[in-house]
Amino acid sequence: MADYKSNIPRLPARTSELMANAHPSRRAFLLATAAATAGATLGAWVPRSRAAGTIGGEVEMMAWEGYTMQNEAADFIAKNNIDLRPAIMGNQDDVTSKLVGDNPVRLDMVEYSNGYGAQYDELKIMQPLDLSKIPNYNAESMFPPFYEADMWRWDDETWSIPWVWGLDTLIYNPDTVPFEIKSYKDLLRPELTGRVAMLDNPLTTFPQIAKVAGYGDKYPLLTADEMADCFEKLKPYRDQTKVYATSNGDVVSLFTSGEIDACFCVWNGVTVSTTEQNVRTIAADPIEGGAVWADSWFIPHTAENLDTVHALINEALSPEVQAGMCTATASNTVSPLALPLMSDDAKQYFDYANFKDEFAKLKIYGLPPLTSDEHATYADWIQAWADFRAGF
Amino acid sequence: MSVDFPARRFYPATVNPLSIRLPRGWGLATPPVAFLLFFFVLPAITLFVTSFFAAQAFQIVPDWNVGNYLRIFKAAGFWKANFQGLTNGFFVATISVLLAFPAAFYVVYRAKTNLILYMALLSWFSSYLVRIFAWRTILGTNGMVNSALINLGLIDAPLDFLIFSPTAAIITLVHIMVPFALLILVSALQDVKAEYLEAARDLGATRWQVLTRVILPMCHKGLVGAFMFSFILAAGDFIIPQLMGGRDGITSGLLISGQFRSVGNWPLGSAMAWTLMSCLLIVYLLFVGLLYVARLSPGRRYH
Repeated sequence: MADYKSNIPRLPARTSELMANAHPSRRAFLLATAAATAGATLGAWVPRSRAAGTIGGEVEMMAWEGYTMQNEAADFIAKNNIDLRPAIMGNQDDVTSKLVGDNPVRLDMVEYSNGYGAQYDELKIMQPLDLSKIPNYNAESMFPPFYEADMWRWDDETWSIPWVWGLDTLIYNPDTVPFEIKSYKDLLRPELTGRVAMLDNPLTTFPQIAKVAGYGDKYPLLTADEMADCFEKLKPYRDQTKVYATSNGDVVSLFTSGEIDACFCVWNGVTVSTTEQNVRTIAADPIEGGAVWADSWFIPHTAENLDTVHALINEALSPEVQAGMCTATASNTVSPLALPLMSDDAKQYFDYANFKDEFAKLKIYGLPPLTSDEHATYADWIQAWADFRAGF
Repeated sequence: MSVDFPARRFYPATVNPLSIRLPRGWGLATPPVAFLLFFFVLPAITLFVTSFFAAQAFQIVPDWNVGNYLRIFKAAGFWKANFQGLTNGFFVATISVLLAFPAAFYVVYRAKTNLILYMALLSWFSSYLVRIFAWRTILGTNGMVNSALINLGLIDAPLDFLIFSPTAAIITLVHIMVPFALLILVSALQDVKAEYLEAARDLGATRWQVLTRVILPMCHKGLVGAFMFSFILAAGDFIIPQLMGGRDGITSGLLISGQFRSVGNWPLGSAMAWTLMSCLLIVYLLFVGLLYVARLSPGRRYH
């Protein structure tokens, strides 16, 4: 009599046995592989956003913290069923690294600071805007420097739209600095040795470095020798420096904890944040001038929900959202129509009554070119900045 | 013309080629090995290959050359930052192991519970950044340490080296690394049975001899592991040196990060990363060699 156990099918007890017992035919294997490949390929083509011409659905946004419009445009977002999915950028590199290369990330709506436009154009990661869908962008509702300027428009196309701007300059604590700072050279006085911070922000720190070294008029197109001279002339400032701050928030923290008395160049909105924490700081008006930054919205080449993004950009320029943003973030508005809606506090950062004359004193700088045989490139500046920080 | 498949000759007709006997337990080992292959070995090889390419405006140009390594060789700033990172790593690893070893000894041979171990691991429940900023508060110019010393009349002015200096970075990194070192050393010491120690004492060994001839050689892998783990993480860290190290705290990790994020020169960043990895490997070999020369490695004792 045969052992009854011999009739029970033996189940694989180990992974190796399971694998060994799996003998798919060649045809089955090929079919399965083809199906998996087809699924993976077609999956990427399944549309995730709404049909063209309608507003709503997912919008993958990347913006600075506080600049996502979630509060200021809340009604518009809710009314149009927009699923706004904001990601916060720590610096502009966060955006660049996501959009370049063979596997860029889907982003529908992104901010860049002035200067990066030329780089992004060279990298071909932007797409032109359809101005017919952004009616709030017109000569009447925009201050002239921000309407159709070269910084945001070239090749007969508008590539981005500035929506907030501000000033980075020398900030100091008047309660701990026993003299009025009128020039960057004042940072070299012995009272400030080891009491200065420099912000790791190429956009506004680099032009200030060029100004201090006497190359303000030529920046960002300096030769390699001129750039080297800039950092050579900056060395005395390094000797005064205690720390390299990583962000505007870090500068606030350094001021409020009493670690520094002055910052080489940082956003003037920092003064509001330190005052809220009972530490008085003021934005100096050095003879060398400050550095203007202007954030603009652009649509990356990976964007999908185009109509909704255009509508959101249009909403960003509305007087209500402009006033709300400037109040919430201590930024400046690009729209004169927003001024009546802004509080006096929100208007204190710029003399809007004399906009033309006051803005004429400022200059919006670009960034060094990504590639050039004649001038120091952006990579050269970054390397020189790193060497400078490391003590060379 | 017919083609003969030679594979048929190697297997009896009843044996499927797929049923080759694999080592016992391979199924358990496969997931982590596969994970490491795909997410460490493969990227590391890709990084190495990339380091011989050129770059232009965020684009990798597959133009084989050793220019990146030559550029690194001549970049004094990189070597200074690299040396700063390695210095951080050395002090952090040494201090972490010295602090963790007695604690591990206590946990394994003296304590009745693992309370000390759990208390040490408790700091992991707070975020990395929170711990860094907590140390800023403790070591700051107006922080707890300086305030206490001034109030006690021991100093007249705040100690500058406590904050925004390599010392501050090392103190913070030690706080991060000690629990890792402790965990590794506890695990290693648990393999050194108390009976071995008692036997050594019975045979006339002094406490020092028990430590140097029994405990350290037998837990040498844990010792190397704890040191190298702390060393590598500390030497490669660029957040703490940036936030705590001040003007002189720049490490090569920050420069590598800049190449990938700011400049978009992945080949140069890859070459820098491999240079750093090579430096860490040299330190590892030196450390293992030092233990061998000091007769503290089992290679000399047991094999």
